[in-house]
Amino acid sequence: MATNVLDIPPQPYTGEKVRLTRAYDYLILVLALFLFIGSFHLHVALTVGDWDFWLDWKDRQWWPLVTPLMMITFPAAVQSVLWTNFRLPLGATLCVACLLIGTWITRIFAYHYWNYFPINVVLPATIMPSALILDVILMLSNSLTVTSIFGGMAFALLFYPSNWPIFAMFHVPVEYGNAQLTLADVFGFQYIRAGMPEYLRLIERGTLRTYGQYATPLSAFCSALLCTLMYPLWWYLGRWFATVRFVKKI
Amino acid sequence: MLNIKKLITVTLWALSCLMASQNSAYAHGEKALEPFIRMRTIQWYDVRWSQEQLKINDEVVITGKFHVAEDWPRSVPKPDATYLNVSTPGPVFIRTERYLNGQPWVSSAALKLGGDYDFKIVLKARLPGRFHIHPFFNLHDAGSVMGPGHWLEIAGDSALFSNPVKTLNGDVVDMESYGFANGVSWHVFWIVLGSAWLLWWVRRPLFIPRYKMLQAGNEDALITSLDKTIAKAILVVVPMFVLGAYAMTDSQYPNAIPLQAALDQIEPLTPEVNNGLVQVKVKRSEYHVPGRAMILTAQIHNLSDQPVQVGEFASGNLRFINNTVGMAYQDHGDPLVAQTGLKVDSPDPIQPGETRTVQIEAADSLWETEQLDGLFRDADSRLGGLLFLYDATGKRYVASVATAVIPQFN
Repeated sequence: MATNVLDIPPQPYTGEKVRLTRAYDYLILVLALFLFIGSFHLHVALTVGDWDFWLDWKDRQWWPLVTPLMMITFPAAVQSVLWTNFRLPLGATLCVACLLIGTWITRIFAYHYWNYFPINVVLPATIMPSALILDVILMLSNSLTVTSIFGGMAFALLFYPSNWPIFAMFHVPVEYGNAQLTLADVFGFQYIRAGMPEYLRLIERGTLRTYGQYATPLSAFCSALLCTLMYPLWWYLGRWFATVRFVKKI
Repeated sequence: MLNIKKLITVTLWALSCLMASQNSAYAHGEKALEPFIRMRTIQWYDVRWSQEQLKINDEVVITGKFHVAEDWPRSVPKPDATYLNVSTPGPVFIRTERYLNGQPWVSSAALKLGGDYDFKIVLKARLPGRFHIHPFFNLHDAGSVMGPGHWLEIAGDSALFSNPVKTLNGDVVDMESYGFANGVSWHVFWIVLGSAWLLWWVRRPLFIPRYKMLQAGNEDALITSLDKTIAKAILVVVPMFVLGAYAMTDSQYPNAIPLQAALDQIEPLTPEVNNGLVQVKVKRSEYHVPGRAMILTAQIHNLSDQPVQVGEFASGNLRFINNTVGMAYQDHGDPLVAQTGLKVDSPDPIQPGETRTVQIEAADSLWETEQLDGLFRDADSRLGGLLFLYDATGKRYVASVATAVIPQFN
C-alpha cells in the first residue's frame, strides 16, 4: 500500500486509548508552553538581561559570548528529557519558540505600552536557527557527545550571523554630539532610561584588542567552546529534574 | 453565616477606603538617598527650565550649574564615571542634546572633586501628559543624586511626533520606526520555520505512545527516513541561508561600526565656588530637632573689595533664603525654597578685609519633609552645602561648606 509523506507513524494503541493519549499530549504541551514561556524567559531576562533588552548593548564582544551560553541551557535540559524518553527532537526549538513568545509579549506590553519605548529600540535577538540545528544534530547523531561538541559549537557560532541581518542597520555611523556614534548609540542617548546610564553598558570591554578589529569571531568561538561544556551540564540537570515514573505506570 | 458576610463586607469596605486614599506617586526616590550623599556629592544650583507648557515636538531646555563637593563622602566611590540623566517616566521626552561646560557630550564622563560645571540639556516632547522632571546624576556604584524637580506639561497628539536623524551616509531615518519592519520580518521568518518543525512532530502521537514504543525496542519506527531527510536538509540549508544572509547584510552596510563606548574627560570651569574672594569656614553645626533648624557657626573672611552679606544656604536641593538681602532670591518656580528660612545673628555687611564669625540659622520644616533631618542618623553625619553671599552690586560669591553635625534633641 502506498504511503503518503504526511502519514503518521505507527503507534501501539487503538480506539479510545488513542483519544486519551492524544488528550494527554495536548495537556502536557499546553503546560509545557506556559512553563517554558515563564521559566526560560525569566532565566534569559536574569542572565542575558540588558544585552537582549537594548539595541545599544548588542556589541561585538559580550553579546555573542553571553547570549548563546545562557540560551543553550534550557534547550539542553529539555532535549535530554524529550529525546531520551520519547525520541522527540524538538526540545531546543520548543524552548526557543516559548522564549520568543515571552520576549515579544514583554517587549510589546512592558517596554512599549507601559514604558513608551519604540519597539525597534528593544528588538530581541533570535536564536531559532541555532535551536533548529541543535535539534537536528541530536536527532541525526543520537549522541550526547556529538551534540555537545558539534551542536553546542553550531549553536554559538550561528548566533551572530543569524542576528546581523536584524541589527546591522543600527550600526550605521552618525555624527552626533560632535562624535561618531552608531544609530544604536543614538537610541540609547535619546530615549531616556533613568536607571540605565551609559557607563553601565558592559560592551566593548575586555582584552580582545590584539586581533585588529575582529573581536566577534573570537567571542563567538569562545562562546562555542563554553557551549560545548554548558550543553552536557544542562543535559544532566534536565535528566536529574525529570521523571517518567508516572508514564511507566500507565 | 451572618458573621462571615459582615466580615467580607467590612473587609471590602476597608480595602475600598485604602485604595481611595492612595495618591499617584510622582517621586523619583530623591528623598530615599541618604542625606549625606545628597548634600556632599553633586551640589546643584541655578537650575532653570526654558518653558513649562509644551506641545508635541516642542523643545525644553534645562540649564544649570553644579559643584562637585570637595568633602566627598568616603563611602561613595569617586566620580570617575558619571552620567547626567533626566528622571522621566520612560521616554516621554527624548534627549536631543546635552552639554557639559559648553562641550557636546553623549557618553559618560569623569568629574573632578571641587570642580565647577555648567550643563544644558535639550529635551523634545514626545508623549502628552504632565510629568515631574529632574536633572540628576548617575554616579557609578553610588546611585542617583537628584537635582531640583519641575512639572512640565505636554499637549497634543503623540502620532505627530517625529525624530529624524541623518546618518553619515546622508540618509535621513525616522528613529521611531527605523528597523522595525525588517526586525519583525526576520523574527516572523524564523518563528514560522521553527513552528513548522514543531508541528511536524506535534501532529503525531507524542508522549505515552512514543515512550511505550521506545521501551518495546521499536525506536526505528519513531524516526522515519523522511524525518531524517528533512533533518539533513535543515542541517545544510539553515547554516547556508544564515551565512548567505549575513554576507548580503555585510555588503549592504559596508560602513557599519561597532557600538561606541567612550568616557569623556571634561575639564571644570574656572572656579566659581570657593574662588578665594570670600572664604568661609564652618566651625560647628547643630541641628535642632524640635525647631527643624540647622545652626552653622561660620567664620567668613571677606577678601573682596565690597561688603558682603549671607543671602542663601542651599543643601540637598533645599534653599534657605535670607529675605533681608534683596538680591538673594528670584522666583523660578522651585518648590523647595524657604523664603524666610535663613537668619544671620550679625546682619551687618562684612566689610572688605574683615573676618567675622557669625551664626547662620537655616530653619524650616523642609528639613523634615525632604528627609534631610535624618542626617545625624547617617553613618557619615556631616553636613554639606553651598553658602551664597552678595555684595551691594548684586555680585555673588559661593562657598561650598562642610562640617560634622551635632543633633540637639531638646
